[in-house]
Amino acid sequence: MSKDYKRSFKVYSAWNYQKEVEDLNKASEEGWQLVKGGCFHSKFEKNPSVRYRYQLDFGKIDNMARYLETYREQGWEYINSTFNGWHYFRKIYDPSLPEEEYEIFTDRESLHEMNSRWARPALALGIILGMFAILSGIQTIRQPNLPRLVQTLMYVVESAVLIRGGLLMSRPGTSRSRRGDGALLAAFFIVLIAGLAAFFYFSDRRPYMETEQSAASIDQPIENSDWNDFTVQYTDNYYLDLVLESEEPMTFAILDDQGTPVYQKTEKSFDEEGIRVRLEKGHYSLFMSAETGFHVSCRIE
Amino acid sequence: MKRSEPMSESYYYILLCLAKGANHGYGIMQMTEKLSQGDVKIGSGTMYGATSNMMKKGWIREIISDEPGVERRRQYQLTEEGRLALRTEIERLKRMLENAEEV
Repeated sequence: MSKDYKRSFKVYSAWNYQKEVEDLNKASEEGWQLVKGGCFHSKFEKNPSVRYRYQLDFGKIDNMARYLETYREQGWEYINSTFNGWHYFRKIYDPSLPEEEYEIFTDRESLHEMNSRWARPALALGIILGMFAILSGIQTIRQPNLPRLVQTLMYVVESAVLIRGGLLMSRPGTSRSRRGDGALLAAFFIVLIAGLAAFFYFSDRRPYMETEQSAASIDQPIENSDWNDFTVQYTDNYYLDLVLESEEPMTFAILDDQGTPVYQKTEKSFDEEGIRVRLEKGHYSLFMSAETGFHVSCRIE
Repeated sequence: MKRSEPMSESYYYILLCLAKGANHGYGIMQMTEKLSQGDVKIGSGTMYGATSNMMKKGWIREIISDEPGVERRRQYQLTEEGRLALRTEIERLKRMLENAEEV
């Protein structure tokens, strides 16, 4: 006789794990018994002849044999553990026994300890990401561009979800089930994946150029010369570091593919970093014109 | 003397159950229920956490019994430090009770 199985891809937030326990108990009542619990994917077996009560524990276990024995001696059957430290247990349900028989944390201190094992690292990570968000935000305000903006938004969302989750988890006794929780959890993963993808996509497609030109004296002048070119793959703010030195005023320019300058500077001596230049998608070349000895160094990112 | 931290109910009963000799987790749980007349229960998660923490503090130690035919081989035993901690807690509880009677 072949067994009937089903899979579930329902994801629960850590601070809402009691909801998962409730759902597992309900599924058991309907004849579906959990055989493998997971963060993203669980497996059930059809067996209407038994009814189980489930419990979840979280944390790194220093002595697995002792741990399992402590559960086994009170009638708990170990199902499995997830990669990130959740442990699934079940016990055959006997309606004549009091509800406390199905509790694994029977005092506030130990429940708080378990919750803190999740909440503390989540809060620490949330605070670190929050600091990254602030630094990235400052940088974005000073030199806005697309990858920085994506990075800042990503840090803000991830740190907010982690800090909120950590606070909910570390407050024992409060009802953690809130509406919009599933949407927030989905947002966490979507922002993480889409944010990283967008960040690498945009970072990878930025031009980076560092170049220098010089002529020592008036004997070797360079006039009206194009000396380097680059391609911009998407419209954004780009930043120019520029140094000009010459005896007479010289001209430096960035020309678009029509030969129109999008940036131009005529100076004898000039040194500035992070000059914001808005560049459309397209092809550009560097142009300079000098009548005497000069030195130019420029960097665009 | 340094004022000692109040002990959690579970810690207190576990130490109390071990005062007269070594016992295994299930035995501690049953004895606790009997002593407290069903008031105090020690679930598996609480039991594992409490025994882990008390072993780290050096209050109890694990002993593996080699008696043949004994189903549960893992037992816990009170250490001298554990006995002292229990005695201190009992003194604290006595003082609290006396205070209540004075008022």
